[in-house]
Formats: sequence, structure tokens, C-alpha cells
Amino acid sequence: MKKFVSMPVAVGLLLAAALAFFLGALFVDQAAEDMARSIEERRGIVQAMALSEVVSRIESQDTDVEGRLATAVKYWGRLETGGIRVIRLSGARLLASSMPGDGTIPRRLKMDEKYLFDLGQRLRIARETNRDEGIARKKEIELEHMPDNRLSVSAPYLVDGAVRGYVQLNLPQHKPARLASRGPAILGAALVIGVFFVLALALGRYGIFRPDGRGLSRGQLALAAGVLLLGLWIFAVTQLSALADHRWRLEEGLAEHFMLVREASRDISQSFALKTAPITDNRWDVDEYRRPLHINDGHGHLRLKGLDGVQAALFKEMRRSFDGVGLLALALLLFSGAGWAGRLKHTLVENREAYLYVSPAIIGMLILVFFPFLYGIVLSFTDATIYNTGAPLKELWIGFTNYVNILADIHVFARTGQGWVVNYQNFYWTLYITVAWTVVNVSIGVSVGLLLALILNTKGLKLRAVYRVLLILPWAIPNYITALIWRGMFHKQFGVINQVIQMCGGEPVAWFDGVFSSFITGIATNGWLSFPFMMVMCLGGLQSISQEMYEAARLDGAGRWHQFRYITLPSLKPVLVPAIIISVVWTFNMFNIIFLVSGGEPAGSNEILITQAYKIAFEQYRYGYAAAYSTIIFVILLAYGIFQIKMTKATEANI
Amino acid sequence: MKDTLTGEMNHIWLHLFLISFTLLAVYPILWVFAIAFSGNQSLMIADISANPTFFDHLRTILPWPQHISWQNFSDVMTEQPFARWMLNSVIVAALTTILGVFLACTAAYSFSRFKFPAQRAGLMSFLVSQMFPGTLMLVPLYIIIVKYLHLGNTYWGLIMVYSTTAIPFCVWMLKGYFDTISVEIEESAIMDGATRTMIFFRIILPLAQPAIAVTALFSFMTGWNEFIVASLFMEEEIRYTAPVGLRFFVGGFAQQWGYFAAGSIIVSLPVVILFMFTQKYLISGLTAGGVKG
Repeated sequence: MKKFVSMPVAVGLLLAAALAFFLGALFVDQAAEDMARSIEERRGIVQAMALSEVVSRIESQDTDVEGRLATAVKYWGRLETGGIRVIRLSGARLLASSMPGDGTIPRRLKMDEKYLFDLGQRLRIARETNRDEGIARKKEIELEHMPDNRLSVSAPYLVDGAVRGYVQLNLPQHKPARLASRGPAILGAALVIGVFFVLALALGRYGIFRPDGRGLSRGQLALAAGVLLLGLWIFAVTQLSALADHRWRLEEGLAEHFMLVREASRDISQSFALKTAPITDNRWDVDEYRRPLHINDGHGHLRLKGLDGVQAALFKEMRRSFDGVGLLALALLLFSGAGWAGRLKHTLVENREAYLYVSPAIIGMLILVFFPFLYGIVLSFTDATIYNTGAPLKELWIGFTNYVNILADIHVFARTGQGWVVNYQNFYWTLYITVAWTVVNVSIGVSVGLLLALILNTKGLKLRAVYRVLLILPWAIPNYITALIWRGMFHKQFGVINQVIQMCGGEPVAWFDGVFSSFITGIATNGWLSFPFMMVMCLGGLQSISQEMYEAARLDGAGRWHQFRYITLPSLKPVLVPAIIISVVWTFNMFNIIFLVSGGEPAGSNEILITQAYKIAFEQYRYGYAAAYSTIIFVILLAYGIFQIKMTKATEANI
Repeated sequence: MKDTLTGEMNHIWLHLFLISFTLLAVYPILWVFAIAFSGNQSLMIADISANPTFFDHLRTILPWPQHISWQNFSDVMTEQPFARWMLNSVIVAALTTILGVFLACTAAYSFSRFKFPAQRAGLMSFLVSQMFPGTLMLVPLYIIIVKYLHLGNTYWGLIMVYSTTAIPFCVWMLKGYFDTISVEIEESAIMDGATRTMIFFRIILPLAQPAIAVTALFSFMTGWNEFIVASLFMEEEIRYTAPVGLRFFVGGFAQQWGYFAAGSIIVSLPVVILFMFTQKYLISGLTAGGVKG
């Protein structure tokens, strides 16, 4: 057999088929589950809409509202409803309730039930916004999947066209009927492999598609790809039709339920002699924006046209998933069948020790550094906020909008009545502050550090060790503590720095009220904690310079400046250049100092990019926008890094 | 004798400069000590009269409290849950150090001693990852750790994040150091029949002690000093780490400067001591990594 069937192709096909059919079954299951869930939601919406119609009629008749509502709610309980609340917004009254634990009804909402009132306000605002704008932008019905497997539906009821309150239903969820997709998937995968083996053996016997000496065969690869795709296609077609049947059954169930709801609604209306509008079209089966879906006609019959529309959208999506699965499987097959997998395996085995040692760190980095990074990049193309974290990213996708909003807004200066003012929230202002912050800090760090290192390196200096230990201290102290200390020292009234100024006869300065003085506080703090690093690096570099070079230079008559310029500096370069690169990157992203000392005061004028990104993410909760902001920071740093490395290489080449 | 004396005379200006600069550099630390031992929560070292004179101001500047008292230290450890926060920090930082050093040593050894495909790409990706802005990672990390792995409000969530963030720097530094250890020792060990594991544990690790000390210190500091991830992940006050707790004392509208100062000293002391012990390694480690990396 080995002679006729290419092993890499066979193994590749085995893996590809397993993967493809497993994923395919997964997608089908997921679609069936989504479908069942959406039907459950619509079941809830139908009830909520029907009930809200009843409530609004009872309210507009205005006789014995509370008593009648209690009766209606009780009667409604026949429809296997978990619990109902009717809440009127004016006066925050709980008019009727069949939820356990709600106590005596009617009553005012309690303090800890404020969320119920807020929910009602949201629904009212949503209704008014949509009506005013004439489009469906905000959800007029709120759905929430409760942890105890119940669905909570809240729909507003309107009196005279205005939202007066809302009804809330807690429906127990049916366990969705499973769609049998595992069996067909396993069968399909087995068939694909079987057919391939039979064909490969049969053809091989006649000398067609025989594998070469290394066991590779292009013909068999093509054959396997064909069989695989055909098998997958048949699976997809049959499963989609199974899905269609599934939906049909679910819709019929919903239509039946609809009739029950209609009956209940009619009974209540008749017993209170309410005016009812005849059901000509189905106005209860709506989406969350209260737009009719036109799937069933309100008399227990399904409408093919409406159903087809929903079906087509689902099928389009499913087809795209299956296309993806097919491509993935093909790639896997090709990977193995063309001998690449073999080569990869060979490499892995050859270097197994190296990979063994490096793998723990790499795996950790992949999961907790690189994956979050990529996820963040994806997030930057969405308008994810705290309010839509549950929604799939696909729905939030907005392309480059965030980047355009950040980069294309060049209105740094705005003209107002008082003249020109700076828009401190603008990206370019923050960028300017960040660059100034980095340049000033690194320059201070390098010059102070180098100066101290030169002094400490003086031959025969006593107490050198003592000085060095004391001067390293600022580096040893955690920088968030340093930041908080300096914030205290810069306090306007009690801070020690203003005491010094007053001692010298000056007026106390409100450090965090001015753009420049606030900048100074950050520089002072960061300068204090960053010079020891440079000092230590320079000391290390200085100690490695041999004294003979200086002696030779002195013999040649070189002065101190010349010695410094032509011996010390070039010898320090291998230490200084990496140290500067590191400290530029550190300072550029020095979150703690800005965040804790000035907090970007006044009015966000002293934010650097990284603190601004944090505030967008965790004070405004605009995750997508903050991710785009952060990505730009990364690109800037990356560009700097590449530029710096190129520069270093270029200068090295010149010497 | 005379020669050294004139040498010292020449250095007097240097000493003057160094002394004044050192005083300036150490002042904030003295200030914290003065507040911590003052026994009250005020930002001022000394009370000040309505019409302060020059000497009144001078008194508020001198870092010496009016009354010396241990009150802040005992209060912060007993009345505030600070002891618990310290314990949390110790656990997190210690385990971060162990895990971080292990991950960094193995990876750096591999990068230093073997030639393998994707080696350069791996090293470069570590370097580039240093430029990833934390704000980009926070939301995804929260989703991974809290939503997927259900490690929110636990030590392990923090430990995993901290030890991986410390990896790239540690790997680069250790690799630089490993590169300076001559390969011949290993080759002769292999001739004597030693396995890779033996070489790694018996030869390389002992030889690289200075660099490993620096790596350990760096990992420890990462775990000990971080407060943003910790404040996001740890929901209960009892689970706070020390940095989150310290910020709690003086963040927002809280003004408990006495607790803050006492707590700061307690938190900084272990790091400063560790730092002073390892600083001679630190210099050789950093320069080795810097030059050869």
C-alpha cells in the first residue's frame, strides 16, 4: 500500500478532513443554537409587546388601573411566564408584579431598585430618539440573558404616543433542540478518506499518480483536495438544508405560541371591555428596534417571503464560514502533502533541544503578550466600548474610522471669543508634549548621569562608594512611590517646595494649574529618578576604558577636552547608545509619573500619549478608540527603533 | 603623604559639589521619613504660624519631625489592612521571580547556545514587544485572564502577567551574559559525557549568577511595583497588592500622608536592600547585556 499511496498526502488529508468536518459541525451547531436563541428572544418579545399593548389600553381607560393590571398579570401567567413587572415611570411606581420577592404591590420603587427605573428611562429615551431622528438607532426593547437560564425582556408601553412605563417579563428558557450534525460530520470525514484511499490505490495500480521516491505525489495531492472539497460541499449542502428545516419547525412553534398569546390578550381585553385593534398584520413579532419582521402573519401561518429573507442572510454567513473552513483544510493538506510538514518536523527534531529550552518562554509570550497585542490591534478597528462588550467584534467593525478620527483631526488651535486656545485633547498636542517630555528627560538624564559618572570616576576620590550608594537610591525606590512623594512635595499649600519659595520671599506657586509649571513637576520627578540609571551605565563604561589611552593622549599633548571628546565619548558609545535607546522608550511610555504626579493637569494639557490612551480606555470606556490610540503609539516607537538602529549602523560603518 | 594631601585638596570642589547634589537627591527620602515618624497625617513636617518668618519656613523644610512617634507604622499595620496587602505582594512578587527567572534562563540559554531557524525572529520579536504600549494590552489581558481563564481576583492571574512581561528584558540581558561564557567549557563537558541539562544546571547557571541576580531583581521589581494591572484584576480590597493600597491612601481625595509615608518605607525597604546587594552585579550585568546584546 505504501507504494501506491503518498503518505504525506494521506496524513494531510486525515488531518484536514478531521479539522474541516469538526469545524463544519461546530459552525452548524452554533448556527442552530443561535437560531433557537433568537426564536426564544422573539417568543419573549411577542409576549412583551402583546402585554404592553394590553397595559397601555388599561392605562388609557383609567379606571381601577392597578386592580385590572393585577388581574391581567395573573391571567397572563398561563403562558408559562416566569414573572412579570409593570412599572410606570412617573412616580417610579411598580404597578403590578408576579415576581417572587417583590412584596406588596402597588408601591414605589425602592432605592436598591433604581436599576429598574434607569432601564425605563433608557427605553423612553431610545423611543424618543428613534422617533425624532426617524431611524432605528437605539434599541427600544431590552433583552438580557440572566445567569439562571432565564431571559428578561423589557418593552415600553405607550399612552398617547408617549412612553409611560414598561413591562418586564422573566421567561424561562427552553433547552434548544439539538441539530444532529456530529454523525454526518464523522461519516463525511470517513467517506472522504475512504474514497481517497480507494481511488489512490486503484489509480496507483495502473501507474497513475504514483508517489515518487520521497513519497510525494502532486497528482494524489490534487485528488485528495478534490475529494475533500467535494465531501465538504456535500456536507455543507445537506447541513444547510437541515438548518432550514430546523428553522421551519422553530417558526411553526413560535406561530403556535403567538396564537396562544393572542388568545390571552383577547380574553383580557374582552373581560375589561377594552378597545382592541384587529390583528391584520403581525405587529408583535418585531426586532429590538420594534421593526416588524413579517415572518408570520398573526393567524398562525408563516410567510415564505419574510422567512426567506432571514434564511438568506444566515445562509450567506454560513457559506462564508464553510469557504473559510475549506481554505483552512486545503492549506493544511497542502502543508503536509507538499512535504512542508515533513521538513518542519525534521527541523523540530533536529533542533529539539533548542526549541525545548525556548518553548516555555515562547508559549507564555504568545498567550500573554503577542495574542493580547494582536487582539488589541483588532480592537482598534472596532467601536468597542464598555456598553457593547458582549457583541461580536464583527458587528462592531468600523474599519479605519478610529485612526481617521485621531490623525485627521488637525485642529490643535481653535479660535474663540478670547482669541486662540489650544485643544488639549487633540492628538498632535499630546504628541508634542510627549516628544518634549522625552527629549527633555533623556537629555537631563544623560547629562547629569554622565557628569556624575565623570566626577565619581576621578582617580583617588575618597568616599566614592558612599556617594555612589546614596546617588543610586532614587533608582532603587519604586517609581510610583517617588511619583506620589513628589506630588506631595508640589502641593500648593502644604508642599515643601512652596515652603522653600516662601522662605526665599516668593509667592507660593499653584504647580498643577499652569501648563508649563505642571510640565516642570513631571520633569523634576522623572529627572530625579532617572539620572542614576545613566550614571551607573556611564560608570561601567568609564571603568572599561584603559588608562594607557589617556597617557598616550597626554604625551601627544591633548588637553582635557580633547581627551574627553576623542577618547571618553567614543569609548562610552557602546554603552551610551543602547542606554539612550532604552531610556527613550521607557520615558516615552513613562505612565506612572504623569499619571500620579500631575494627572495631566490642567485640563489634560500635560497628558502624554500613553496616559491619554489609558484615560480614553478606563475613564471614557472607549476601548476601540483607545486601542487605535495605543497602536499609533506603538507605530511611533517602532519607527523610532528602526531609525535608531539604522543610524547606529550607519555611524558604525563610517568609523 | 604630601602627594595624597594635595590630591585631596584638588578634590575639595568635587566633594562640595557631590555633597550638595547628594543632599538634594536624598532629600525626598528624608522627607518621607520625617512625615512617617511625625505621627500624624499632615503633609507638613512642622506646623506653621499665621505670619511665618524665615525660620518658620526653614523649620517646615528641615526633614526632622516635631515629635518622633511610631504611631503611623503601628496604625498602618494594624488599623489598616496593609499587612494583608504586603502579604499579597510578597506572594505575587516571589512567585513572579521564580517563574520569570526560570522562563528567562531557559530561553536565553537556547538563544545564546543554539543556532536554529526563527532564532533571530524570536529575539527581534522580544525586542519589539518591549514597545507594545501597556494600554493596548490591558483590555485583551483582562478578557483573557478574567473572562477566559477565570483568574481574576487571584494571585496566579497577576503572576502570569508579570512574569511574561519581564521575559523580554531578562532574556536579552541573560543572553548577552551567556554569550560571554566561553563555549569551550561546555564542549569539554560534553566530551566528558555531560548532558545538556547537566551543563545548563551545573555549569551555565552557576557561572551566570551575577546576571541571574539582576534578572531576579528585575522580575521581583516588576511584581512588587506594579499597580495598574493589579488594580484592574483585584476586585476585593482584601486582595489588593501593596502598591494599589498605597495609592489608596493618597489617591483621589484621600489625604492620609502619614500612612502613605510609613507604608512607603515598609514597601521600599526590601527592594532597596535587594537593590543594594545586587547593584554590583547590576552594573556588570547591564553593561554586558548592553554591549554584547
